[in-house]
Amino acid sequence: MRRFLRIYRILVAQNLKRIMEYKADFLTGAVSFLIDQAIGIAFIFIIFSQIPHLDGFTFEQIVFIYGFSQIPKGIDHLLTDNLWCVGYFIVKKGDFDKYLTRPIDPLFHVIAETFQVDAVGELVVGIALMIYVSGSVNLYITPLSIILFIIVIPFSAMIYTAIKIATGALAFWIKSSGFIIQMVYGMNEFAKYPTTIYSQFIRTLITYIIPFAFTGYYPALYFLTGQDPIFNIGGTVVISLIFMAIALFIWHKGLSAYESAGS
Amino acid sequence: MMTMTSMKIRNEAIITFKKIKKQYVPFMKAGIQSLIAYRMNFFGFVIGGLIYCFVMYYLWKAVFKSSGGNDFMGFSMVDMTLYLFLSSVTNHLTFSSAGDNVGEEIKDGSISMRLIKPVNTDLSYLSNELGGTFMTFIIFALPMIVGIEIYRFFAVGNVMFDWVNFALYLVSVMLAYLISFRVNLCFGFMAFYVKNLWGMNILKNSILKFLSGTLIPLAFMPDTLRKILEYMPFSSMSYTPVMIYMGKYGTNEIIFRIAVQAVWAVLTYALSKLIWFHAVKRLSVQGG
Repeated sequence: MRRFLRIYRILVAQNLKRIMEYKADFLTGAVSFLIDQAIGIAFIFIIFSQIPHLDGFTFEQIVFIYGFSQIPKGIDHLLTDNLWCVGYFIVKKGDFDKYLTRPIDPLFHVIAETFQVDAVGELVVGIALMIYVSGSVNLYITPLSIILFIIVIPFSAMIYTAIKIATGALAFWIKSSGFIIQMVYGMNEFAKYPTTIYSQFIRTLITYIIPFAFTGYYPALYFLTGQDPIFNIGGTVVISLIFMAIALFIWHKGLSAYESAGS
Repeated sequence: MMTMTSMKIRNEAIITFKKIKKQYVPFMKAGIQSLIAYRMNFFGFVIGGLIYCFVMYYLWKAVFKSSGGNDFMGFSMVDMTLYLFLSSVTNHLTFSSAGDNVGEEIKDGSISMRLIKPVNTDLSYLSNELGGTFMTFIIFALPMIVGIEIYRFFAVGNVMFDWVNFALYLVSVMLAYLISFRVNLCFGFMAFYVKNLWGMNILKNSILKFLSGTLIPLAFMPDTLRKILEYMPFSSMSYTPVMIYMGKYGTNEIIFRIAVQAVWAVLTYALSKLIWFHAVKRLSVQGG
């Protein structure tokens, strides 16, 4: 474990050095994601200028859910962005061989290799939004809920990671799975709004099959209302562990099926 | 004498046309082939777009329910559904990745290979992309439009499809594509100044999504903002054709909007040329 931490530190430091070298790049990335978020908020704002509430939720509550959903997304984006590259081109170009020759777990190496600072845009907006509405919205704050908040965020982020590992690993069989990651990952759009607005089919889909609802609406609902911690928080933890287990299983199956593309 | 000259001109025109055809048709074929080769990516792209449409569909449905009326700022729910899916179709048709390709080629220097070929650089990108756009039209846009019309038939109760609007929509989409092509090219030239092309791409997409009215119809925006945006090139890239298709514009307004598009097509062309000449100089300074 300590060895992993040490290697991770070295790799991240290497990344940060590169970022310091290309400061303009970092700024472009962070500002881009920041503006992307700002536009998402402007959208909600314009809608709410016409209606008093959305399916029973006030503007502030919707903004809270939106802000909350950006944090797991941002954490995953910050730490595991390289999984996209596995799906898109690392396997296809035959570059995956590199990871297999190193004396360290390939999955760990892939993930540790990139530290994606662009994600700062999502994290800053997510945190800022939650702080901004925390004054005007009635949050459910108890010692327990604060502890659960800290616990649940990494599990929510893990749902993103699990989905990326599972879909990225498909590249081991089909060479390029970028489009599948894109397709499945795109469903996180659903997490930003209350699931009650969707049809039953979509609700089931984003709860149990591609469980992005647990990265936004469900846990956020608990912190807004205090209702049903077993499902909203416990569900998040259980679902994320199940999906991570499935993802790792697929990844290892894929690794043994992997044949180098030969460049 | 007159007929001799005009015949000569005609013959020359035919020869020029044949030459252009011979030079650029291979680029178009390559575009079609690459779309077929990367069809999975294409489907991912299309399905991703549709998922987004459905999220927005349900969100708007909730908005309509909460607003308590059938009408939200001049749009009915059927209008809104049409708007969402037509915007998606239009965006796929006017989608241009030439800018990204230019960016990549500038970054890795392979643009020099394109420059030494005895063809017009812009036209080679354009014809390459038109091949793919043509395929998109056949395998995605047409089925989608049929689907949209079937939905509209069941939602409204009678056939609403209008050939004239559809024809004007196609004209408007072509202009929209030309503007989109040039705007993307301009963004692509940013590769001379910024290395983070991925970040630039996110920035470009989110700005375009908002300013072009894809995210939220311009009709819903505050008045002043709407008026400004309607005259910017971005609304010409998606909003104008969609509104024409939906029959939201009268005859005079259609003519006016298409004229605005034509003006922007020319202006964005000029702008991209301007940046290009500046950029090529920079390229020679770097030594390719």
